[in-house]
Amino acid sequence: MQKLRFITLVVLVMFVGQPAIGLVTDLSNKRIEIRYSFNGADLILFGAVGSSAVDPVNDDFDVVIVVRGPEADTVIRQKALVGPIWINSDSLTFPAAPGYYAVAASRPLADIASNAVFASYGIGFDHLPLLARTPRGLATPNSDFRSALFRLQSSKGLFRQEQDSVVHIGEGLFKTDIRLPANVPVGDFQVETFIFKGGTIKARNRIMLAVDKEGFERAAYDFAHGYPFWYGLVAVLVALTAGWLAGVLGGKK
Amino acid sequence: MPLYLPIAELSMNIFLVISMGAVVGFLSGMFGVGGGFLMTPLLIFMGIPPAVAVATESNEITAASVSGALAHWRRQGVDVKMGMVLIAGGAVGSFFGAQVFTYLRSLGQVDLMISLAYVLFLGSVGGLMFWESVRAIYRQHKGIKPKIKPREDRHKAWIHALPFKMRFRKSRLYVSALLPLGIGMFVGVLAAIMGVGGGFVMVPAMIYLLGMPTNVVVGTSLFQIIFVTALTTIFHSVNTQTVDIFLAVLLLVGAVVGAQMGARIGLKLKGEQLRALLALMVLLVCVKMGVDLVVEPTELFSVGEAGSH
Repeated sequence: MQKLRFITLVVLVMFVGQPAIGLVTDLSNKRIEIRYSFNGADLILFGAVGSSAVDPVNDDFDVVIVVRGPEADTVIRQKALVGPIWINSDSLTFPAAPGYYAVAASRPLADIASNAVFASYGIGFDHLPLLARTPRGLATPNSDFRSALFRLQSSKGLFRQEQDSVVHIGEGLFKTDIRLPANVPVGDFQVETFIFKGGTIKARNRIMLAVDKEGFERAAYDFAHGYPFWYGLVAVLVALTAGWLAGVLGGKK
Repeated sequence: MPLYLPIAELSMNIFLVISMGAVVGFLSGMFGVGGGFLMTPLLIFMGIPPAVAVATESNEITAASVSGALAHWRRQGVDVKMGMVLIAGGAVGSFFGAQVFTYLRSLGQVDLMISLAYVLFLGSVGGLMFWESVRAIYRQHKGIKPKIKPREDRHKAWIHALPFKMRFRKSRLYVSALLPLGIGMFVGVLAAIMGVGGGFVMVPAMIYLLGMPTNVVVGTSLFQIIFVTALTTIFHSVNTQTVDIFLAVLLLVGAVVGAQMGARIGLKLKGEQLRALLALMVLLVCVKMGVDLVVEPTELFSVGEAGSH
């Protein structure tokens, strides 16, 4: 068993490693800190294709960059008319929906490769593999709920596709902007870069990005979740002191 | 200037938050009400998750009630014994209210419950208040004086029949402890599910059901609200971790300034006119909430809050 796993790993490294020669990417900032003044973040991803299956100087190539945020239980609810009022009735839980999902490309996705290619790599809104939790285990989600998830998360700026484009700078160098909104979830993000040529993937690579609360914001969040009773007590004491101060100051006028 | 709220997990303009506090503070200072029934819907409307809005507003009401209660305390306007019984009931009510809130949140029905509670209570209280104040204005216009009932007839027969009678010296009352206990409990439930102090229900109940003298009604109600909203804050913090201290403090800063100005304007208006205006405002919030329930939403789907299954 151990041996088999090792062989698989070696094969995998050879298989994945080989076409990835020469593709390097980096971010302007690999660690986003959420502090009191946080109002979203703009990152720049730089990448370069060196000597590889793609000749950067002479060949035209396409770049698709996929950023995925931490996965979390996400519930989609549908309202229905019950008597005279609209009530949440049906719901569907996606146990591993990414909290952030952005696809940037150098051209419209349809021009880069066929649907089948994107589907096999799970790239894009239409192909991102998502399962729903049902009483009978995980299953393919109802398409209404699936599209609602994409629509709602897009409206919050958490899911984005073809809104940021990859710019070719020349000599195999390219860059793109990654926009994280203020409501971005905290956790580890994966930034995957795919190089396409002639409708097939020639190289891919993955780097990590971390988003975390820092300083006072982190302390407050950790305190509230780690010691909720004491946090509540402190909140009450702060309120009592503030109220008393307000009374004293207001009374003097 | 944006400020990231660590519990609400979103960024809001700091001046917008303070002005919201100031506007609601102005209105509550003018009308002499807590303002929770205005602030909680406003916070939800601004995009704060309902659970955070309710829990945070409880925290702000604690602060806002302290200064008012202190002023009444200095004027001997607090019936401590009555307050204690109301608090005991409020603690039980708030505990169960918070449990129901947590349960409904997990079902995704907490927004519905908040809206229904607002429509029901604001509708009935606002309607009664409006009718009463319009009648008072009309009577004053016509010069009709209402008959004043003797103090002995204040209580209905069923109230006298209740057991566990208790003497409340400050309120000059001898009534069953079950009555204030029940009122306190009911207000505690409202505090936990609506993010209000509950004065709009408690004050009329104290006057009309308990028959308390008006000079101790407001002070005692504020006294109860301090403790019950403090408990509610702790219950919500333990159950759902939705109390945002930063948001509460910012709202309070605005509210303190607004309330001072509001109180000055309020002195210039007549009691009946104030009550009619307040009633209209209460009904307006009620209608807004009611319409949102009935009109078909443009987006039928919604994303569940993180952490709710």
